[in-house]
Amino acid sequence: MLPGVDRAAFAASLAARLRRRGVPVGLTGVDDFLRAIDVAQPRTLPELYWTARITLVRRHSEIALFDEAFAEIFEATGPALDPHARRRPLARKNGADDAFAPLPDARAGGDDAGGLPWTTLPAVVAGAEDSDGPARVPELSPSDVEALGDVPFEQLDERECELLGGWLEEAAASWPTRRSRRFRVSWKGRGIAVRATLTRSRRTGWEPFRLAGKEPVVRPRRVVMLCDVSQSMRAQASAYLHLMRALTMTVDAEVFAFGTTLTRLTPVLASRSAAAAVELATERVTDRFGGTRIATNVRALLSSHHGAKVRGAIVLVGSDGWDGDPPEELGAAMARLSRRAHQVIWMNPRAAAPGFEPRVASMAAALPYCDLMLPAHTFGSLRDVIGAVAGSRFRW
Amino acid sequence: MAESGGLTSPAFTGADDIRRRLDELDYLVDDGTAAALFFALSLGRPLLLEGEPGVGKTTAAKALARALATPLIRLQCYEGLTAGEALYEWNYQRQMLAIRLAEARHDRLNDADLFTEDFLQERPILQAVRHRGPQPPVLLIDEIDRADDEFEALLFEFLGEASITIPELGTFTAERRPVVVLTSNRSRDLHDALRRRCLYHWIDFPAPERVVEILRRTVPGANEALIRSATDFVGRIRRFDLDKAPGMAETIDWVSALSSLGATELVREDVLRTLSTVAKTLDDREVITAALDQLT
Repeated sequence: MLPGVDRAAFAASLAARLRRRGVPVGLTGVDDFLRAIDVAQPRTLPELYWTARITLVRRHSEIALFDEAFAEIFEATGPALDPHARRRPLARKNGADDAFAPLPDARAGGDDAGGLPWTTLPAVVAGAEDSDGPARVPELSPSDVEALGDVPFEQLDERECELLGGWLEEAAASWPTRRSRRFRVSWKGRGIAVRATLTRSRRTGWEPFRLAGKEPVVRPRRVVMLCDVSQSMRAQASAYLHLMRALTMTVDAEVFAFGTTLTRLTPVLASRSAAAAVELATERVTDRFGGTRIATNVRALLSSHHGAKVRGAIVLVGSDGWDGDPPEELGAAMARLSRRAHQVIWMNPRAAAPGFEPRVASMAAALPYCDLMLPAHTFGSLRDVIGAVAGSRFRW
Repeated sequence: MAESGGLTSPAFTGADDIRRRLDELDYLVDDGTAAALFFALSLGRPLLLEGEPGVGKTTAAKALARALATPLIRLQCYEGLTAGEALYEWNYQRQMLAIRLAEARHDRLNDADLFTEDFLQERPILQAVRHRGPQPPVLLIDEIDRADDEFEALLFEFLGEASITIPELGTFTAERRPVVVLTSNRSRDLHDALRRRCLYHWIDFPAPERVVEILRRTVPGANEALIRSATDFVGRIRRFDLDKAPGMAETIDWVSALSSLGATELVREDVLRTLSTVAKTLDDREVITAALDQLT
């Protein structure tokens, strides 16, 4: 292959092509590629493929993009599919092909959730209906039907973000910690730091008068937040996004949104501008404001390669507990989650209503595995959530 | 460029050659892995291997060391790994002893006398840099994702220039660039600076035909029909929603266990007795047991 081809130009244009496709090819990669062609002249297309993939791609997530670009160039498959078109299936007409879609008239008709397929909820939030503000919870049925997000997330307000960030920083001083395997020199420590002792003994003619101790370094615990963005959580989704963004920017956090599928939002929400962050989040979470599958998504998190991040972390689940999956599945998934995590805190917007009882089957199934269940129905109540994460000794 | 990378004679003539040589050692690789190993050797660059657990990342490095007939130096990473355990450490106890001895003999002792190579303890990476031999050693930095991000920064000088600087002594540069293989299970995102310095290869779970081929080699006593049906079974249960999908290592264990029971085909009782080799959690055990009825 490649007889009489200007290899430098070929490599550069291939790299440019890949970069346009979203594979961030660096100069080191291009250099490697050229040297690799030099070392072993590729004779067949698969050989060229492996040479290019090994030298130019650096991440597993980029392999699919690379494959697409490579196929487009060398197999002449015609114009490629628009990646956006592939990520979001065509919008379905509401209720045209499924019986279990959230019913628009249920919303219009107030808190009546009649005619629902399998779960009928008690009117727990009837009292909250008259209070204005974001506390209003629309009464909707749980379902596992994927709906498509044409409604974007509400914009995050810069000021509220700062407020949350401020609360987090206030709480950071008493944030729960874990003992790491690193050591640092400390006079109080019990082990002996030989290096520090010897360095110090230089001042006293190499006579170690005072032993330097060492103690383990403590690290703040990671927070993993799972936020339900289904239809029934629509009122709270924006406030929870605020919290997730503040968490990613202030502490060591890993955040996910889920409806029917799980979407990792950590890199997206870390964006500096709130508007850009929410725009990216809207683009990423294609299944927002649809049905919920909590059990499936908790399981997906645990078995994905991000599952290790839950180990020893504080897990925040923001959901009203309306689940399209059977409750026993949620119970099993939550049991696994709580075995792996340090603490599981459930934020439930419905828990704020007077006389609330977790009577929804799935919420009742999940509750034994939660260390805390907190009401989180308004922006202000997130402050209490932060306080609860910081621990019982923490006072505002 | 390959010469300046430090390899005096190319160990392999091409990716096919590597595959043939590893084949002789009963380690079967696909085209991609063979190409990745070949380029890591010929370009003198570290190779970052990722893939599911049990897909043969560590074994690849071991097999490469055997094929090159060089020692394998292994650094197992864990949280809190520091320069003292990965690069080098001064032997403080010995230094202290030397001071005492010098005092007893009424010698004069300088700083420089205490920081010599006599008092230097080599750890795996320095050992790889200072290795003397006809072929460079293979350094396996296993499960780099388990070490914390601070540790990655320690590696940059070594990965980029194959050298280590010890402030008291100077810079050691490898005579021949060691072959470096890093593995990761993706439990943590590695830093871009680390990725940039390495070639990258993702090892997929092998295709069924290759699994059969690998099992034939690794479990020579196993019956052909057993290998085929076990491969088929593993392929199917890997599609289930399992906590820990069985990898290549588990499959090999399982077939060895089955063949040691004298099984010639998959029978329900035998599968149940040897299930502990494939199902690694209670939940998985239940899922697989439930699936057994439909599958066999």
